[in-house]
Order: sequence, then C-alpha cells, then structure tokens
Amino acid sequence: MTPQNPAVEFKNVSKSFGQGQILNDVSFQVLQGETLCILGRSGTGKSVTLKLMIGLLKPDTGNVLIGSEDIGGMNERGLSHIRREIGFLFQGAALFDSFTVGENLSLPIHRFEPKKSAPEIKKEVEDMLQQVGLEQDIDKLPGELSGGMKKRAGLARALVLNPKLLLVDEPSSGLDRLTASEIDDLLLRVKTERHTTMVIVTHDIHGAREMADKVAVLDRGCLIGFGTFEELQLSQNELVRALISEY
Amino acid sequence: MVLMSKRLGTFALVGDMSIFGVRALSRAFIPPFELAYLTEQLEEIGARSLPLIAAAGIALGIVMTLHTRSTLVSFGAEAWAPTLQAVSFFNEIGPLVAALLISGRVGAGIGAELANMRATEQIDAVEVMSIDSSKFLVSTRILACIISLPLLTIFMDFAGLVGGFISEHLATHISLRLYINRAFADLSWASFIAPTLKTCVFGFIIGTVSCYYGFTIDEGSAGVRRAATSSVVLSSLLVILSDVCLVKLIYFFFPSSAL
Repeated sequence: MTPQNPAVEFKNVSKSFGQGQILNDVSFQVLQGETLCILGRSGTGKSVTLKLMIGLLKPDTGNVLIGSEDIGGMNERGLSHIRREIGFLFQGAALFDSFTVGENLSLPIHRFEPKKSAPEIKKEVEDMLQQVGLEQDIDKLPGELSGGMKKRAGLARALVLNPKLLLVDEPSSGLDRLTASEIDDLLLRVKTERHTTMVIVTHDIHGAREMADKVAVLDRGCLIGFGTFEELQLSQNELVRALISEY
Repeated sequence: MVLMSKRLGTFALVGDMSIFGVRALSRAFIPPFELAYLTEQLEEIGARSLPLIAAAGIALGIVMTLHTRSTLVSFGAEAWAPTLQAVSFFNEIGPLVAALLISGRVGAGIGAELANMRATEQIDAVEVMSIDSSKFLVSTRILACIISLPLLTIFMDFAGLVGGFISEHLATHISLRLYINRAFADLSWASFIAPTLKTCVFGFIIGTVSCYYGFTIDEGSAGVRRAATSSVVLSSLLVILSDVCLVKLIYFFFPSSAL
C-alpha cells in the first residue's frame, strides 16, 4: 500500500444503543501514517468510534474499513486477522489484574505468534518495557503501579506486536499534566519512529495539537468538523470553532 | 399478574444462565485449550479454599458429635456415634456445606472479579487480542468449580470425621483405630461416590451463576457489588434446590444408600 492509502475509513456509519443514537451517518478517512485526534464532549460517541474500528461493536448501518477490508460483517476468524495489526490503549489501560506486567505483555505474543519460544517472547517483552521506561517493573502486578505507569504498560502491550494501527482512548484521562505529557511524548515517538497510523480520542487539546495531522469533531453523534487544526479554526460551524477554542 | 411475570422472569433468568453455562462449558473442549489459566483457577478455587473447608469441617464435626452424643447416650447407642457422623457427612453435610462455603467464597469472588473486569474494560482487552473471552474467563472458572467441588467435599468429609474423633476421644478416650472401624462399618461405596459426584452439579451451578452475573452486569462499581451479592444468593439457593432433586435421583439409582 502506498502511504496515501486509507488505513481506516468510515462510510456513513450509524450506531445506536436502544433508543439512543450514538453515531449518525459518520464518514471520514485516516490515511496511512496519519494521526487523527477525535475531539468532542463526553457522550458524543468518541469511544464507540474506536470500538467500531476494532470490531468490538458492529455498525447498524454503513461500513467500517480497515485497509480495504470491511470489518462490519466479519466473523471472529477474520477479525482476529485484522486485530493482529491493531493495538488498543484503553482509557484505564485495562491491564489484567491477576497478571504481572510482563505476563500482560506476553499474552498477545503467545496468542498471535504461538511458535515463538519463551526466551524470544521474554526478550521482546523486556525490549518493549525498556522503551516505555518500565523495565524494572516487569514482575509487578498492575495494582502496584501508578496511573501513569499503568498507561505506559498499557501502551507497551498495545505496541508489543508492532501494530500498523494504534487506537488510543483518552491517553491523558486521570493523569496530572506532567504525567499526561510523558504519555503524549511516548505517543509522539511512536508516530515519528514507527510511523504508526494512530487514532486518538482525547479531551486534551494541548496533546492533540502536538500529535494530530487531522482532527475530527463529534457532537451528538454527528461529525461536525474534519480537517487540520488550521482548517477547523476557519470552519463555518460555530460549534466546531467553539469546541476547538474551548479546549 | 405482576407476581406471575416475576416468576416467569426468574425462570427466564435461570434458563439464560443454563444456556450460558452449557455453551461456555462446551467451549472448554475446543482447542486451543486454556490449560495454564485453568490451572490458575484450580489453584484459586480449589487449593486456596482448603483452609476454609478444613476449619469448617473440623468445627462442624465437633459440634455435630456434641449434639448427637447426648441423644445416643440416652438410647444406649453411643457406639454408633462414629457411624452416624460418617454417614451424615458423606451423604449430605459434606457435599452441601462444602458447596455453600464455596458459593460464599468463590461465587462472590468470581462475580466481583468478572464484573470489575467488565467495568475496567479488561474483557474488551481480552477480545481485542482475539481471545474468546467466554472461553478464557468463563469456561475455565466453571470447569475449575466442577473439578474442585468433589475434591473439596472429600476433604470436608474427612475433616468432619477428624472433628468428630477429637470430640469423641475427649469424651470417651476412644482409639483412632476403633473410631475409624466404626465410622466406615456401615458406609458403602454408593453412599460415598454418588453424593460426592453430585457436587459436580453444585460446582457447575456456582461457576455458572457467578460467571453469568460477573460477565453480564456492566454497571461500574455498583455492578461489582451487585454481581457479588447476587452470585452468592442465587447460587446458594440453586445449590439447595438442586440438592433436593439430586438426593431423589441418588435414591432412585442407588436405593441401598437411602438412610
């Protein structure tokens, strides 16, 4: 694929839960190597958008394409193939409480690359933890880590298979400014060193400005703005300008 | 009308749980097998319950002997105390009390743990790794409950006999050899194997109910509490109700084991 091929594409995607319409006819593209930040108030469908991208949720209507493959109607086997190429950093890191940090990182390698030997897996886990500055914490349980360390461990787990697409849900939530900027720095390194396509849901405008090539603004399930920061500041939509400046 | 719909709701819930449990259990036998995680659950559910089962068994054995001894003495049948102790523990007290204790310790734990995993997106994280979350988290726990319960029941039975012996020895200075001879004199294999194996059903109930609540409740920290409480209440109730049916079944297939 050339760098300009879309890594992710939403085509007229709608999603509702019961009576509540969460996403309404949303369409956008994220090109290979680009970073898209999704902004919007709470409850506007940002996290749902991420979960649609990894097949945790299915769209009611429309298509979600990862590369050129529509994952909307895919079975688990097909999704497994797609998910091998996607890393997901959850809002609270979602590390498995009963596993050590090292075991949390080795689990996806065991699953997706079962032929790898234990020493190979250990080496990869140690290398990955070194990159996020947690090499001393490999045997700790998640309960023994601070919020920032959990996020870094979660990021390490998301990156351990060297994914082509990284989905990040609120990387700075629950963290102080300094710790949040450490996580932002790590994500920036992922962007510049690995050229990974990233979709980041965030409330942190400062971090978004540093990382985003494009910004999507959601409001009540509708995509009300899409483009670069500069383009959005000139948007005709008052709410988009207000949201951008509000942040 | 409301009462009727509530009753139907309860039946529907138990039906849902049964389907959930049977499906999860059937997945346990499809490769790849989650042996490492199953072993971890066996340790958590089985091995770590041993101190509780041992302490409860010994205490219950002592208390039962204290209660029955005076009655047996008044009939001149004190020599029957070990037999009565063994028959009651192996037939009913061991299986039922072990199941209720495990329902309290493990049922609440599983319900709370899975509900917390749901609330903190750990179950989503499992699925993102293309791991069948039901097989990984539910099947292993149900299977561990089914395997652990009979073993813990045997442990409970013998702990009850130890308690009974301590109590009898202090009262009559009975020797261990005589106590054991009397205890097992009237105990047939049928009255040992069938009641012990019925605890596999109890294990299935405890595992299924607690996993169902933990896996399906998605209400944050309030959900964790609700999952833990509901797991204990419903699994204890279903264990007792199913025991009625299982005892009748055992008597039907092994009439000699009827007291």
